[in-house]
Amino acid sequence: MNDVSMPTRFPDQIGGTGVLDRVYRFMRNIPSWVLWLVVLIWSIPTIGLFVSGFRTRDAQRATGWWTIRPSDLTFDNYDTVFSAQDSLGKSLLNSMAIAVPATIIPIAIAAFAAYGFAWIDFKGRKALFIATVSLLAIPLQVALIPLLRLYVGGAHFTIPWADKTVTVFPDLDLVNTTTAVWLTHSGFALPFAIFLLHNYISSLPNDLFEAARIDGANHFTIFWRLVLPLSIPVLAAFAIFQFLWTWNDFLIANTMAGTNPDARPTTILIANLAGDFGRNEHVLPAAGFVQAFFPLVVFFALQRYFVRGLLAGSVKG
Amino acid sequence: MGDFLTKLWDTAVVVVIAVAVSAAIWVGMNLIFNQVRDHWSRFTAAAYGACGFVVGALLSGNRITRGSVPGEGTWDTIGSWLWLPLLSGVVAGLVGWLLGRVDARPARLAIGVGGLGAVGLFSGAWVSDAWIPEFAAVPLIVWTAIGAAAGAAASLVRRRPAAGAAMIGAAAGWLVGAWAAPDLGVGGSRAWSAVTLAVPAVLVGLRMALRPLPTLTERSVFDQKTRAAVFIGPALIFIFATLIVPTVQTILLSFKDRASEEWVRLANYETIVNDRKSIDVDGWSNIFTSRLLWLGVALLVVFAVLGVLGARRTGHAVELGSASMGPLIAGGFFVSLAVFTSLRGTIVNNIWWVVVVTLFSTGLGLAIAVLADGAPFERVAKSFIFMPMAISLVGASVIWRFMYVARDASKEQTGVMNAIWIGLGRLSTGREVAGTLVFAVVALSGLGAAIGAAARRRWARSATLVVATALAVTVVSVLWAALSPGGVRVAVGLVLTASFAGLLTLVVKPLVRGDHTKAFAPGLIAVLLGWFLLRYWQIVGDGLGGQRPNSSGETISDPIFFIQDGPFNNMWLMVVLIWIQTGFAMVILSAAIKAVPEELLEAARVDGATASQIFWRVTLPQISTTIGVVVTTLIVLVMKVYDIVKVMTNGNFDTEVLANSMFREAFLNLDRGLGAALAVLIFVSVLPIMYLNIRRMQREA
Repeated sequence: MNDVSMPTRFPDQIGGTGVLDRVYRFMRNIPSWVLWLVVLIWSIPTIGLFVSGFRTRDAQRATGWWTIRPSDLTFDNYDTVFSAQDSLGKSLLNSMAIAVPATIIPIAIAAFAAYGFAWIDFKGRKALFIATVSLLAIPLQVALIPLLRLYVGGAHFTIPWADKTVTVFPDLDLVNTTTAVWLTHSGFALPFAIFLLHNYISSLPNDLFEAARIDGANHFTIFWRLVLPLSIPVLAAFAIFQFLWTWNDFLIANTMAGTNPDARPTTILIANLAGDFGRNEHVLPAAGFVQAFFPLVVFFALQRYFVRGLLAGSVKG
Repeated sequence: MGDFLTKLWDTAVVVVIAVAVSAAIWVGMNLIFNQVRDHWSRFTAAAYGACGFVVGALLSGNRITRGSVPGEGTWDTIGSWLWLPLLSGVVAGLVGWLLGRVDARPARLAIGVGGLGAVGLFSGAWVSDAWIPEFAAVPLIVWTAIGAAAGAAASLVRRRPAAGAAMIGAAAGWLVGAWAAPDLGVGGSRAWSAVTLAVPAVLVGLRMALRPLPTLTERSVFDQKTRAAVFIGPALIFIFATLIVPTVQTILLSFKDRASEEWVRLANYETIVNDRKSIDVDGWSNIFTSRLLWLGVALLVVFAVLGVLGARRTGHAVELGSASMGPLIAGGFFVSLAVFTSLRGTIVNNIWWVVVVTLFSTGLGLAIAVLADGAPFERVAKSFIFMPMAISLVGASVIWRFMYVARDASKEQTGVMNAIWIGLGRLSTGREVAGTLVFAVVALSGLGAAIGAAARRRWARSATLVVATALAVTVVSVLWAALSPGGVRVAVGLVLTASFAGLLTLVVKPLVRGDHTKAFAPGLIAVLLGWFLLRYWQIVGDGLGGQRPNSSGETISDPIFFIQDGPFNNMWLMVVLIWIQTGFAMVILSAAIKAVPEELLEAARVDGATASQIFWRVTLPQISTTIGVVVTTLIVLVMKVYDIVKVMTNGNFDTEVLANSMFREAFLNLDRGLGAALAVLIFVSVLPIMYLNIRRMQREA
């Protein structure tokens, strides 16, 4: 028996070879069977979506996806999804147009701020940091109405008791554009981004900074030449996070650009497809799979960074 | 295709511009502040220039100056108002440059007062007719005095000389008194408008000129202090503009009417509370007729008995891992279900979501993390559980809608859940044989064993198992064909009962030894299987699953309408979020479990602790902080659940939640007041969590 490698897991292994011993061992290993059973259960919904995407409309309506017959398989659904009027191709581009700036901009801004909070000494640093990061828990809903008004008409400040209005932010007609969506995402992402990057940047060894300062480097140089290259792993972790979050977001996109076919991302397209019951139900699995394709690729390719980011954001904090 | 390329190009341009501008501003700021120590005058030139430009832009941008009225083309619009900011920027920059190098006080005074005064005078004279202020002495004097006093007071509090700050305060007060208080554009002379802008400019110039040139030490300190602002400022401004200001505005809007015109005090909140859709307590008496309640109460009685017994033995009624804990949690859960299903409404649904999703995601995540810990192919298993995290909530809702599809009883079910449900029904009534189930069990257990053997690198055994599985499947199918449906039902029942008996030994053995953990997983399965067997042998009810006799006595399929049938359709919606968030809880808890110091576990083992005692007494207390983090994160996340409800039911069939209700009121019914009030409700409900988070961070910082 190969028991040596796991002495603690099976301290009371019954080494017998009789049928009953075997049955007992099988039964006692149920936990590991349960694990794989859970894995199977967890995967079934996704597998179902994947298989359904390749089945013809008639097959989808007649039988469950698990009755796969070669004659039922087709690429027509994917064809329809990409060639239809409000095609998925266009909204994939919109999703990109939202996710890319919404990932890059908060990274940049938060990296400066995280460095500032971690390595520049100033009065009230700790309180300000905690105040910033505590905004993590603010539900987005509470900011949506005023932000939409900002994009519709700009920001105007009325001086109290004087009845004079000053424009602080001009009306750039941002509503129903991808810009409105990624601007909103960028703002909402900052508390978490600062928190995550601060955790990492503040744990870099102090000697490094001492040495650089003795060499006469200022904060800008230290940040640019030292901290940024060292922080690549955590920047990657946050980038993956933010990319998945913005790509998969529905609420903000629906609020800021929900009615404009030229600006709406894939999530809205799919929600709309799901909304008109019956008619387009057969292309829904294909569309859903295409929508999930990029996040899944990112997820499986960079899972290590993703998990690292998740842990830095939760366990240490 | 051309369309596509244009769009791609436009997108790329927007991205590049946005990134480049934000990077340029930040790098530029740093380069400017890099001059502070060694090239003071360069810094002052840049800083004054920037301030002059911003003031000019505010004036022009608000169409206050002449010629800044919108033109036809883009360049006309921008160009017509750009020259004033540019001019004031250049002049102010020049003033700054000179103030940065001239040391003699008279010369400094001349430069500061003269230069900035000229800018003010010129801008004031250039104000368009519609903006020329009237002369009003009283507000002017009052506001200037208030400003000066406020500035002086602020300085005195910080124990600094008061004169400088008083000047700046007076300048600000003057601006308010001269521009904000009186009427604009109804009489008033251009000369007066020139004076009104020149006076504050002169005051600021005077203040700056009175300050001597800083020494190297002072410049270094200045560099240190301002650098923090340069690094943190952009983030704070962004957060301020997109989170803090909107939050305050939303709170204010929630006290206004639907078009945000009149103040209505608490009317919106009253509407929410009085709406029967929010909280409907009419069904409260159903709580007592609910079977769930009595099941919960029975479990709580079991808990009480076990607790008393445990207290006699160990002195504690409830302990982590004691036998009484399971009934306590399960009993509490069933009682809460009885409450949630009897009281209906949006707010009740939200609480229901929070309780169930948080409990199950954390519990399942912990269970899977423990199960997977050290198992072969641990990482593969975990990444499959974790994968739904990458799928959007919209996508997940679509996926589960296909799982939940319910079709007319006469047709074949295409949704997995109903197919299983109907299959169970057919199996347990013996009307038809659900052969797939038995085949699946045989084939999966055989192949699973083969994979397990391969994982331990026993290739020969693995191959044997594959062959044996194939043989077993063949034998089963032959037997299948030979047996009658009724016979199969009995055969399947016997096999299941035998497994149940086997399971029971697995539950009893560790319980006798006091090793509760080992008993937990088999115990759970035994309870489920036991319930199934009670139904299967028709001891309770007739069979289990989607079969029922119709009026003419035939047995027909009876699918569940998972999405439509309330109130438990709420639970089926929650399953989607649990499916996603269990992976999150698992990853974090798994890492925490692995981070428990090996010495602690080793010490416990040496002291003779069982695996169960180690888990409950050592591992679990060690990861309790992490569990707290997971739970709070989940509560915040669940509180604002929106996508799933929107896509699956859009709040129909009694599944409404606050976030969906808020979206509909604010953006579809265009009732901003009510929408804002709902948003504030969500916000208020996460405030305790925010408070806990702040406390935790204070402890750790």
